Formats: sequence, structure tokens, C-alpha cells
Amino acid sequence: MTVATAGGIGDEALAELAQFLGPEHLITSRPARLHRARVPAPFPVHRWADHLPDAVVLPGSTEQVAEIVRIANRHRIPVVPRSGGTGLTDGAVPLRHGILLDLKRLDRIHELDLENRTCTVGAGVNMLKLNESLSKHGLIYPDDPASYPCSLVGGRIGTSGWSLIGSRYGHTRDLVLSFVHVLPTGDVVRFGDGGGPKVSKSSTGYTLKPLFMGHQGTLGVATEATLKLYPKPEAELSPFWAFDDYETAWRALREIVWTDCATFAGAVLFDEQKVAYLRRDDEAYIPQPENVRALVCAVLYGNEDEVRAAGKRLLRTARANGARYLGDEISQGDWAARHDRYATPLHGRTRTGQVVPMSWHCEDAAINWTELPAVSRKWHDIVARLRERTDVFDDWGMFAYTSARTGVDYLTEIDVGIWEQELDDESWALWVRAKRDIAAVAVEHGGSISACHGACREGEVDLVPDELGGGYDVMKALKRRLDPNNVMNPGKYGFDGAFEEDLK
Amino acid sequence: MKPYRRADQKTPPPPQQMSDVAIMRFEHIFEVDPKLMQEHVRQHAFPNWDTQRIAASRHDHLDWMHRHWATVVVSGEELLDD
Repeated sequence: MTVATAGGIGDEALAELAQFLGPEHLITSRPARLHRARVPAPFPVHRWADHLPDAVVLPGSTEQVAEIVRIANRHRIPVVPRSGGTGLTDGAVPLRHGILLDLKRLDRIHELDLENRTCTVGAGVNMLKLNESLSKHGLIYPDDPASYPCSLVGGRIGTSGWSLIGSRYGHTRDLVLSFVHVLPTGDVVRFGDGGGPKVSKSSTGYTLKPLFMGHQGTLGVATEATLKLYPKPEAELSPFWAFDDYETAWRALREIVWTDCATFAGAVLFDEQKVAYLRRDDEAYIPQPENVRALVCAVLYGNEDEVRAAGKRLLRTARANGARYLGDEISQGDWAARHDRYATPLHGRTRTGQVVPMSWHCEDAAINWTELPAVSRKWHDIVARLRERTDVFDDWGMFAYTSARTGVDYLTEIDVGIWEQELDDESWALWVRAKRDIAAVAVEHGGSISACHGACREGEVDLVPDELGGGYDVMKALKRRLDPNNVMNPGKYGFDGAFEEDLK
Repeated sequence: MKPYRRADQKTPPPPQQMSDVAIMRFEHIFEVDPKLMQEHVRQHAFPNWDTQRIAASRHDHLDWMHRHWATVVVSGEELLDD
């Protein structure tokens, strides 16, 4: 057996791809490949060429995706699926060159079932554009990542995405009823709950749907999905509160979540370093008084009478727990901006305070409420040690977002500005080490390395076996069984270990 | 309507120091203090109308996002007054 460990596409494979795709949908120009080599996750820009795909293909149907994968198997060429390319781990970044499978032409709404409140769409459909269409029918697909205006349904499946309002509506895994999936061999199957494409709960057979979500392209590629729809909310309320200190805010957060209002869609805790960062540059926070040191916001969506009743309860609870309402202007403006965090031009500061261009990098983990303060302290220490060494990194503070209605765990993120133009092997090594340390803290505190982005990047990926234990061995066995030629996104999740015998 | 004069547009109002690191020339529009943009990144010169257009566009975008997600935005201040 020969497994795909390196790129390089021969003329024969290129001719086969061009023959059925049409030459216009097979691109080998350097700019097109450069544009698809990276995502917004930390990226070693000084080694960009290491991640160049050999060719970009733009299939227009599930059948074409399947044929591409079959050709890749015949020629042992790596295949890396890519939807919006907005992921914050590097699932869509080629590690072994090969074929970059760009899904953006799968952009059709195939069916809108108003009776059962579902729609079936291609993997290249964007949620914002979908919701513009659904709005005419009073419906919404409430999958709401920070990349809402630019990420695509296929990527949400491949990364098992997290949604800002998931405490009310669920996350991608809950909102996708079923999907058509091309396996690493090129076979096409549908995964859902049971066999019916629009079933939300089944006990027939194994529950395979979650297994084929969040694999970062290592187990194939989703091409079409059937989605659960909700009525577009009548009303939104998004109060923001200020606190004198982090601990008071952290305790108030729990009380706000525990009001257990049915329209509660999520809450966010801003720590003191986050407020300090916002006070540097954010129009809403520059004028705030010094006693604004930590923040909590919550959001409610639903019928207007229910939102108003729940809002009063939340405001009452917050005030009883040391909160000061920041006013409608900040509350409404800041919340609206949270649907679109990728549009913000960013800069950071050197240690002397001078402005430098920086990219936003967000390291996430799933952390229980009880562990948030300790994890916060340790993560800031890690980034402080980075900053002591170089101006390439800047601590932009932490958020903790509810993942579930009960407040059991939080998508906890530390935002780090990185001056990418200054990256070199030495600073990249510092970053990878910090990333490993950040992941180690999450595991040490009984959490998970990632709540949202994925855990297959350099640094963090080393700790996936520690977190998952025997579950990681099952992952490797599945990978080897389902992708015998290791064509799907080779190198990710340390899966080369699953093919050690073949590599010998 | 005030007539357009290019020279006026190239002369921003005097800055008001809002914090150690930020100034304000137009109401609710903040800028990084220029003394912090000397070494690596220089400030761009914007005509006054363009500065205000960018800020107004941002507000248009946020208003659009509210309408996109819900029909009505409930006021917290109003609920507190009830």
C-alpha cells in the first residue's frame, strides 16, 4: 500500500481532473493557490510556500466532488477541502500540498420545505445570504459564528462549529439535520439521525452524524445539508453590564444564566485585560470610567412579550449581583458587532506603546464555570511570557461565552494580536510552545482543548491523545479504515501515526 | 447646505484628549493618539467628510444587523424604567 504523504500532481491526474471539471474549474495559477494556502488561524507567513496546494478545483456537484476524490485515490494525491476558509484552526490549510477542493460553487438552495421548516442547501452557501432568502418567509437559520457574514455551511460541518446563540438554538451539530457526504474513497452517503433526511431524533442504528462533523476534512467532505429552521425572532434584547472587578462579574454571570429564561440565547464575560484592551481603541469603551473593569452581556431572542418579561428578570438579577447597566447605545451596538468579528481592522502595540499592524488570533477551549478564574490567570501568564520576549505578540484579553443553557461550560478564548510580518522561525517556535501550554491548561482543568475551532494545529495537537485517551486510538483506527490511502487532509490530527506500517 | 470647500475638508477640528492613548476630533469618533503612530504605522490623512462617512457606514451596518436578526430591538433602559 502507498499512502499520500506528499503533494505533486502529475500531468495524467491534471488531465483527468480537467476532462470532467472543465479547464475553467481547475486552477493552477500561483495567486489562486496562494490565496487558498492559509486561514485566519496563526499561520507561519514566513513559510507560506510550504502550504501551497498544487492545484485548486471548483466542483459544481456532489458527483464531481466524488470523482475528484476517486482520482486522488488512484494517484495518491492529498485532498484538502475548503469552504469559506474562515476557520480558526488550520483544517483548510494544506500540510502536504495536493488538491485544494474549494466548495464555493456548491452555493444553491436546493429546497425550502415550509411545511416542515427545513431547507436543503449546498455546502458553499453562506448563512447570512441564506437568511436573507429565509427572511421573506419569516424564518431563520440561527447558526451564528463570529464569521457569520463570510463562513459557509460546509465549513461549519467540517469543524462542528459553535454558535454565539447556541444556548437558545443549539450549535451546528444540532441545527444540521442531515448531510450528503463524500467518503475518503469517493463513495457518497447521507448522514443524519436515521435514514430520513429531515429527522431530528432517531434510534435506528449507530448515530453517525456527529462522527462526520468536526473532523477537519480528514474523513471526507460534506457537499449538501438539510437544515432546521426557526421563526425569525420578533424581538432581541442584549443588555451589557459593568462591574468593579472580574470576580464579581464572574459570579454575576452564573446568576444571570441560572435565571433559566426560555428566550436566553447566550451570555459573555469580558475579563479585566479585555476591558483594558477595549479601553485602548474601542469607541464604546474609551470614555468609560475607571471603575468599569469587567463586563457581562446577555442576549435574548424570541417572541416580544417573552423577551420583555425575561429581560426584566435578567436586569433585576444583574443589579442584585453588583452590575451597572451600560445603556442602550453600547448594549445594542456592541451586540450587533458580535455577529461580524472578521470585519474589524486591527492593530496592536509594541511594549513602548507604538502602533503596529496585527492580526487577531483567538485561542479557545471549553472550560467549566468553576475553572474560569484559574484558567484565565494561567493563560494570561503564558501570553505575558511571550510578550516579555518579543513585540510580535500582544495580549488582547479574554472572553468566556456560554456554550449551553445551564452554564455548565464556556467557550473560553484568549485573544492574541500577532504582528505577522515579523514572524520568523524563532518567534513561530515561541508561539507553538505557548499554544501547547494554553492547551495543557485546558486539559489540566478538566476541559477540552477547543470548544469551537478544532484542535489539529501545531502545538495543541500534541495534547489531543492526552485529552481523549483511548478515544484517540479509536480515531486513528477509523481514519485508517475509512481513508486507506490517507488522501483526505494528510498530516492533520497526528494521523500519520495511523499509517506507520505503510510508511515503513 | 454648506458649500464644499476642499481646504475645509483637509483641516480637521482640533483634537480633544480622551485618554492616554486616544483623541477625539468629531463627536463619538475616536482616533489613536498620533504620537503612538510614529515608528511603524503612520496615520493617513482623511478628508473630514470621509471620516464621518466611515463612522456613519458602521452605524448603518449595525442597524442592518439588528433588522436582520429580529423585527424589534427591545430597550433595556425602557425595561429598567418600568
